Amino acid sequence: MRLGVLLASALAALVAAGCRTAPGGRFPGEPLHLAQLASVGDPARRASMRLVMAGLDADERGRGAEASSSYQRALQVDPNNPYAWLALARQEVFEGDPDRGLAHLDKAQALLGTDERAAAHLAGIRGAGLVAIGRRPLGEPFLREARERAPRAWADGVLDASELR
Amino acid sequence: MRWFAGALLLLGFAGGFATARMVVRLDGVVRERFEGRLFRVPSRVLSAPTILYPGLDWKQVDLLGTLQRLGYRESAERKPLGLGRYYQRGAELRVHRRAFEHPTRAEPARTLVLRLEGSVLSELFDADSGRELGAAFLEPELVGAYYGPDHEQRELVRVGDVPRHLIDAILAVEDQRFHEHGGVDFRRIVGALVANLRARGIRQGGSTLTQQLVKNFFLTPERSLERKLQEAVMALIVESRYEKDAILEAYLNEIYLGQRGSTAVHGVGEASHFYFGKGVRDLTLPESALIAAIIKSPNGLSPHTDAERTRKRRDLVLELMREQRRIDDAALAAALREPVRVAKVTPEPREARYFLDALQRQLPDFYGSDTLTTEGLQIYSTLDLRLQRAAARTVAEELARLEKGYPKLVPEGGSRLEACLVALRPQTGEVVALVGGRDYAKSQFDRCTQARRPAGSVFKPFVYAAALEPGAGGPLLTLAAWVEDVPLELETPAGTWRPKNFDHQFHGRVPIREALERSYNVATARLGQQVGIAEVAEMAHRLGIESPLPEVPSLAIGAADLTPLELARAYATLANGGIRPQIRTFEDVVDPVAGALERQPIESERVLDGGTAYLVTSLLEGVVDRGTAAALRRAGLVGPIAGKTGTSNDERDAWFVGYTPELVMVVWVGFDEPRSLGVAASGIALPIWSRFLREATGGTVRGAFLRPPEVDELEIEPETGALALVGCPSRRTEYFLHGTEPVSTCPGWADRFGPDGAPGLLERLFDSWLDRL
Repeated sequence: MRLGVLLASALAALVAAGCRTAPGGRFPGEPLHLAQLASVGDPARRASMRLVMAGLDADERGRGAEASSSYQRALQVDPNNPYAWLALARQEVFEGDPDRGLAHLDKAQALLGTDERAAAHLAGIRGAGLVAIGRRPLGEPFLREARERAPRAWADGVLDASELR
Repeated sequence: MRWFAGALLLLGFAGGFATARMVVRLDGVVRERFEGRLFRVPSRVLSAPTILYPGLDWKQVDLLGTLQRLGYRESAERKPLGLGRYYQRGAELRVHRRAFEHPTRAEPARTLVLRLEGSVLSELFDADSGRELGAAFLEPELVGAYYGPDHEQRELVRVGDVPRHLIDAILAVEDQRFHEHGGVDFRRIVGALVANLRARGIRQGGSTLTQQLVKNFFLTPERSLERKLQEAVMALIVESRYEKDAILEAYLNEIYLGQRGSTAVHGVGEASHFYFGKGVRDLTLPESALIAAIIKSPNGLSPHTDAERTRKRRDLVLELMREQRRIDDAALAAALREPVRVAKVTPEPREARYFLDALQRQLPDFYGSDTLTTEGLQIYSTLDLRLQRAAARTVAEELARLEKGYPKLVPEGGSRLEACLVALRPQTGEVVALVGGRDYAKSQFDRCTQARRPAGSVFKPFVYAAALEPGAGGPLLTLAAWVEDVPLELETPAGTWRPKNFDHQFHGRVPIREALERSYNVATARLGQQVGIAEVAEMAHRLGIESPLPEVPSLAIGAADLTPLELARAYATLANGGIRPQIRTFEDVVDPVAGALERQPIESERVLDGGTAYLVTSLLEGVVDRGTAAALRRAGLVGPIAGKTGTSNDERDAWFVGYTPELVMVVWVGFDEPRSLGVAASGIALPIWSRFLREATGGTVRGAFLRPPEVDELEIEPETGALALVGCPSRRTEYFLHGTEPVSTCPGWADRFGPDGAPGLLERLFDSWLDRL
């Protein structure tokens, strides 16, 4: 009896989902902006996020070493803050050592799991990193995915600190 | 007569020639020093900064202790709060934080307001703006310095950075006609001569600042006419060659001003920090007068030994300044009212000597001993001084306790029991604490980074990692597997090898978890054979082991000599979800003049899939929860902890290697010259690890080992490893990589629901699923 009810409910849900039109196409929604997460999480995560934001500020002003130091301080407070790893990965891929950036991205990805909001940036940074180390055929599909998921942020194939902010 | 005049002339020529030769020689000596490296400044190593933020456990991080070690002084008044002072009443802590240079930016001075609720820092504000702060830094602490043989420390200052009142105070008491004389003050010499004749003894000196400088730079303290003459000639040379400001600057940086343990405090810059916990720019008039006052006898007049005596001498300096019209009456009166207040003497940390050596070894070759002892570099290290102190204290006290509890650990006439403790952050590879031995003064050999010791059972997780990692045909086994702990004989070039268990028993067929939790040698040796020893060695290298590994069957149970640091790195890779971190002991090397010289960025590389790393972590959590390290739980440690005990052959080495989501720690205990401890690792290394973790975390470990999406959590029937559905006689939770889940269900389950009208199998499956939801 319960099985019958369940199957009927599941069918209805599938039909309803199929009829709905997603506004953003295949990957709806805005890409991740770290400012939205500055006040989320336990005290260590919140403090760590403040330091990430300070790092992005410094990055925007072209003070890369200061930004990098802020991200490292963010990791000192919360070494499992995925957004600190993401910011560090972005900085290394676009302004530093792309190999190093890809390693940081692995860490961010491991911590973010299947977080859909971060998917565009994870794909885009990976794509840009792979292209930067000369593996364009591998990188292009990731960049394409990033452009599909977040056309505005990834139209130029680069993620600025202000776009991650 | 003509002969006599000729002789005199010749003598005159000879004398003149000798004098000229002496002047030329001394001129060379002066120029070489002044135009070369004027001072040898030891490079300093600083800790990671303390970060304050709302929600922080301020007691756990020893905030007040940190402030005191940084030279902050408690104030009785809330406002105004002087620089480098703090005020605490009830739930409010105000800190007037000093400005400090960071490798990449300058932190301005600011007054921080901290609201404290119990042990929690609940709010953090900037007092001036009233703005809430998400985080704030305290300046890094001094970890140590690389001293030359003279063991002098100084902070070089520019004359332009020295407050006028400090220069005035020094000139007033040491050389009031400094700007008038040419290196030697003949008027002062005559005055001193008359005064000494009257007193029938040496009461006054006639030396100028320039002469004092020359004496300190070039000459011995010997009191002879020849040395005095040399001093005068050199002072004249110095004055003729260099500007007054350059001479004054050299003097301000050279002058001896006290003793911090075995380190001599030289120069007003260093003295400002030593006596007042602040930079020279921030000195007040009475503080400047105090520094000038103690030049005469820095130890005899030290405010740390007799503050009243120092005050009298300081007041004398202030009155001299007034007499010479360097200050007015109002300034004098205000300064005389100030009591003598000095920062607490904080001896230079001795706990981090092994770390300093390890850091030096990690620096590029360019930074040799000569550079480090002379160039005054600032090295921003990864060390957490609070953890370092806890580690040093733990090793010292626990070794003493062990020796008391086990008299056989105190051999007669032999070497003492030694230990190593190294802790690092798995995500960043930062070494946060390192104790390479019991007593650095007695042995500088670092057992964390330089000693290779038989790893024993702490090697075993690498075997399990190799067995659980999916290869081309999937993993060799899953966590639901069983292994055989039955007699094994292998022919090797060294003869027949028959591994034995610690308890000299064989345990038959055992679950893989139990094999590691109980550290069964035979089961693990068999597993090593199944995986292949070459694959095991390859896995260990991949995780971070750099030492050569013998590809022999006994490698599976730890027949390999490894350093504690490389073990820490390999376990860090497991803790970090398969991403191997590069070990880091410093972040930045900064030259005070040239700026940043060297950066050591975070480096890491994925070497193992996150799923396999998680499975091994889960196995190692079992070791702590139920196995050979269960004493950690009995000791009340809570939260996610994974680890492995290890005891080498003949119980010569005791290990515990373990980790939490944020810290990896290795403890090794043994003798330098291998001899049996006679006690298992769980009785020796584990208590040290346990106590250190408690000191580091307060006993409650935060966070969790994150299960990656490719790992599923399922209920299985333990005996068969089949999926446990409703009605299974026994069950436990187990983790599986995607695609390795059991496909069978626990036997007999379907039979229990015959064709008697009871619900069918599918219906039951859904019921079970719904129940779990």
